[in-house]
Amino acid sequence: MLPAQLGRAPRHLLVCERSHARHPRSRHAAHVRDHAYSCRVSFLIPECGVLPEVVKSTIADIGDYYLVRSLPVHELVTHEFIDAFVKKGSCYALSYKTKIDQDNTAALLPNGKLILSVDKGTYEELGLQGRPSRYSGKKVMRYIITIDLTDAGFQPESKKHNRVLWALKEKKPLEFDFLLAWYNTGAEGSTLMSYFSKNQIQALKPKITFSTLRDLQCPVLQSNDLQGKPEESCSTEELFEWLGAVLNQVSLDNKSSSFLSTYCCPEPNTVVEKAFLCTITGFIIPEKIIQLLEQLCSYFSEPKLAYWLTLTVHGFADSPVSWRESEHGFHKGGENLYNFVIFRNLDYWLQMAVGAHDDCPP
Amino acid sequence: MAGFADLNLPQGLDKKSLQSLLDTAAHLGYSAVALNHVIDFKEKKQEIAKPVSPSELFPSLPIVQGTSKRIKVLTRLTLIVSDPSHCNLLRSTSANIRLYDIIAVFPKTEKLFHIACTTLDVDLVCINVTEKLPFYFRRPPVNMAIDRGIYFELLYTPAIKDSTMRRYTISNAISLMQICKGKNIVISSAAERPLELRGPYDVANLGLLFGLSEGEAKAAVSTNCRAAMLHGETRKSACGVVYTVKKPRKVEEEETAVPACKKAKTQA
Repeated sequence: MLPAQLGRAPRHLLVCERSHARHPRSRHAAHVRDHAYSCRVSFLIPECGVLPEVVKSTIADIGDYYLVRSLPVHELVTHEFIDAFVKKGSCYALSYKTKIDQDNTAALLPNGKLILSVDKGTYEELGLQGRPSRYSGKKVMRYIITIDLTDAGFQPESKKHNRVLWALKEKKPLEFDFLLAWYNTGAEGSTLMSYFSKNQIQALKPKITFSTLRDLQCPVLQSNDLQGKPEESCSTEELFEWLGAVLNQVSLDNKSSSFLSTYCCPEPNTVVEKAFLCTITGFIIPEKIIQLLEQLCSYFSEPKLAYWLTLTVHGFADSPVSWRESEHGFHKGGENLYNFVIFRNLDYWLQMAVGAHDDCPP
Repeated sequence: MAGFADLNLPQGLDKKSLQSLLDTAAHLGYSAVALNHVIDFKEKKQEIAKPVSPSELFPSLPIVQGTSKRIKVLTRLTLIVSDPSHCNLLRSTSANIRLYDIIAVFPKTEKLFHIACTTLDVDLVCINVTEKLPFYFRRPPVNMAIDRGIYFELLYTPAIKDSTMRRYTISNAISLMQICKGKNIVISSAAERPLELRGPYDVANLGLLFGLSEGEAKAAVSTNCRAAMLHGETRKSACGVVYTVKKPRKVEEEETAVPACKKAKTQA
């Protein structure tokens, strides 16, 4: 009598690929760069008590991000802003405290595209052309508007530019709190802080926490075997589940008195005396993650006890895009994250996971 | 996808408990709630009072968790009808009824359910969840209601309070789903205390138990509620297209200007 779909969880995808970090066609940096907005980066190094100095300095160098309150969207479309920040280096902007399945959201990608994800009422009042959202169902309630700011046809005083400015300034002024970050490729000019000094702009540092885990059970992995062999190594799915348990501080011992979790570390596993876990929370840009990834790869340039280490990056649950420009939605959960497992011989596994209203990651 | 809304918060309570209900609803993530004033015709004749304006009741509305906007509060009237003569109130142009944002009707017999779905000017038809349905749903009135843009409301708080009512809630909901195929459903609480409120994603999961699909269940708490609120707004306008707003009168230059009818003749 009860419907059969009760037993099924909402759809989720896990894509795993394997390569070598120093291979000329390795795409690890490209994958990191494609995922624009990251809110949390964590890495776990087994058999490590003290972090090497180079890694520590890379973390300290992560840089600030900025929070601007009540910034009208038409300020991001003016040519002063485009020439000062979008064309010189990579500028990232994401609206703060807006839910992707309920409110309007805005995001600026480093390739100069401004993405507005608006609900039906706002779309009809705004007057800019967009397309219906893929996750909206038969009665379309959400539209995605993409404006290319670096387009040749978007010159000052061109029809396109005037229309966009008129829509965002007079027809339906949109205003959000924005999280901003800018990766400067060495050009001179003003900084975000000085440009938005009239709005209430705050510079914020990412929050960094270190912890050392004792007597941790770690699965045994073989770098050339993604599926794992029973009795010899664990598969990527088992590693993914275990890593999620460790990063969320779920205890792995399956005590009979615990009602929260009966999860156990997958077999075969070894007990590691100590492991180093670092978590960085904030608005972190991909360029810094690539630097951190390189430093973690060079961790294995000297002989170390650990066989592998992991780097996990979580994206924002409410961002309108996940990888490149594929649309991201929030159904019951908005996870879009990726995880690198780097082995001693610099082989790596890359796992990318998305939730229900998402495209398959590239 | 619209913001989440809970269209049934009983209003017969004192101000402090209403305020705590509102705070809990905003904390759980609801962007809009409707304060429900229930009229039962079985008791002695009651006058329909003017709705209390939310801005008078609550000087400062709480901010919805996770956004920077304040929660929206609407007014709603529910009429419990058990006799066809009770419906006359809706047909009369009583000024006070027009002032409510949403109007709902709770039919007790099959004939009244048919009348509510086909002719009455309401936004929501409440479905009884506390006792076994005295009548079966039939396809023609339900389909007519869907065409007219009327939504069927299911409550979930009785299911939290009592296990017998839980059975009736699920069985009544499933029999409704078999007829309406999951369209035009709104799920709301009738929570009298903050503890009886549940978060919107939890209510959407509850919709799965009633037989809705995942998308329909989430719509029952968001998109359909928005549509019901807009349906109520069209009652204040002409055919949903023309709104009238009272403007302050301009007294000067009235006598010297040419009367409008004369102007039109000269221009034509």
